[in-house]
Amino acid sequence: MKRLTPYLLLVPALLFTLFVLIYPLIQNLINSLSDVSMITGSSGWAGLQNYQNVFEDALFWRSFRNTAVYAIAGTVLALVIGLGFALLLNLKLGKFSTIMGCLYTIPWVISPVVAGFAWKWLLNDNFGIVNFWLSYAGIVPIGTTWLGDPGTALLSVMVARVWQFYPFAMVMFLAGMQSIPQEQYEAAAVDGATMVRRFFYITLPNLKAVGSVLLVLGVIWSFNDFNMVFVMTRGGPMNSSMVLPVLVREFSFVHFDLGKGSALSIIIFGLLTTLSFLYLKVVSRGEPS
Amino acid sequence: MKKALVVSVMIVLALLVLLPVLWTISTSMKPLNEVNKCPPQWTSPTMSFKPYSDMFFYLPFSTYTLNSLIVATSATALTLLIGCLAAFSLSRFAFAGKDIFLLIILLSQMLPGASVIIPLFQLLRHAGLYDTYLGLILVHTAVLLPFVIWLMHGFFQTIPRDIEDAALIDGCSRMEALRRVILPLALPGIGATALFAFLGSWNEFFFALILTSSDSTRTIPVGIGLFVGEYLDVWNQMAAAAVLFSLPPLILFVLTRKTFIKGLVAGAGK
Repeated sequence: MKRLTPYLLLVPALLFTLFVLIYPLIQNLINSLSDVSMITGSSGWAGLQNYQNVFEDALFWRSFRNTAVYAIAGTVLALVIGLGFALLLNLKLGKFSTIMGCLYTIPWVISPVVAGFAWKWLLNDNFGIVNFWLSYAGIVPIGTTWLGDPGTALLSVMVARVWQFYPFAMVMFLAGMQSIPQEQYEAAAVDGATMVRRFFYITLPNLKAVGSVLLVLGVIWSFNDFNMVFVMTRGGPMNSSMVLPVLVREFSFVHFDLGKGSALSIIIFGLLTTLSFLYLKVVSRGEPS
Repeated sequence: MKKALVVSVMIVLALLVLLPVLWTISTSMKPLNEVNKCPPQWTSPTMSFKPYSDMFFYLPFSTYTLNSLIVATSATALTLLIGCLAAFSLSRFAFAGKDIFLLIILLSQMLPGASVIIPLFQLLRHAGLYDTYLGLILVHTAVLLPFVIWLMHGFFQTIPRDIEDAALIDGCSRMEALRRVILPLALPGIGATALFAFLGSWNEFFFALILTSSDSTRTIPVGIGLFVGEYLDVWNQMAAAAVLFSLPPLILFVLTRKTFIKGLVAGAGK
């Protein structure tokens, strides 16, 4: 009995994991190989037909490209901004830095749906403050439709996403900076190193580990991000900002083709699992063994 | 002189970063004809809290709020209960299969919602739980669980074993030791974890959107997310809803800033 205790304590958690992870994945795999339509309710063996349908769909490739751009460019941008903010906060101006740190973190605390709403309204073509300022300064013509133009929709959503994600990078970088041994800077100061050199030769190398974790984690999270795109553009106009998670919903619950949606979600799972293993590798490499 | 420059740069950056927030607050207090005005104005003499009361009148936001509270509170309680047991097991016992379980937990944290949503949807429909509180609570619990176990595991490990051993020698059983010694000591950590769980469920949009279909079960993010597309003309009421909805997370964040940031760093660094 005593030897069973650790397992018994895990049973409830295991049941939930089974329910949210293992069962849905297996069912998804079965769905993706069957002909399931919510309209007819029929279900028969379809082989790899659903996968073929996905791969032959130009929209899939377009969404894939969009998702990659959104996840990679967005994360890199957020990391650069986060690093900049962390450097400013690390100047240690006492209470002032604390308050600013708090204010800079707010975008991370706000719900993605609210963030999407706020940015959508900010970028509104007629009544948004961004358009007003930019057109006043003569940078863009009056009434620029950021979210309604296929050329700028994805970029606009990405800006909102960067806005939400950079505080996380900032907090992590700041924690990283504060754990750098002070002696390194003192030694550099004695040697007469300039601030710029100290940054490139001490700060940056010390942040490599946390930076690579952030990069992989950020790409995984952004790759999975449904909220921001759905709230701001729903993938439009003309699918110009369509990303894979939104496309799963589109296939499954708008076109009612569960088979195709399942196939796509298995493909996403494959991509994400690869990325996750990359993350595990990065994390374990960063740990002192 | 240099310090003054840094300070002013930092203040300007803060204003820039908070622009979407400030603009939403400004919008939430303006009457509709002021909202749809070009050039846009930050303040107007007719500003009031009227959109806030209008919002509750025209849109079903009081129902949404109630739904969000019920779902988030129940999911938090359930997750904490199950998560505590699992984390206790993982941090205090050595047993076969432990590493595999930890790996599953870590991987399920990365699992894309999109790749489980369809079977979950089918499962809930078969079980009669589609579009119910219970269905959403169970799914939120499952989604939050890995992260909660991960966090609690960390907190439990910071409690010295000696204290627990002393309790065992004094004649406590393992479970009594958990209840009487470990849980009270881990209380601050549990509090922080509860906060994460509550915010996770409160802000969750994807599952709530797809697994509910009627106003009587929809949560606030779903209400906001759907209305952003449909009721474009009532921007001020939508902004009011967004502000109210963001208040609980913001207040909780300010109150628990230190633990919050510590948890963030710990959770992702492990």
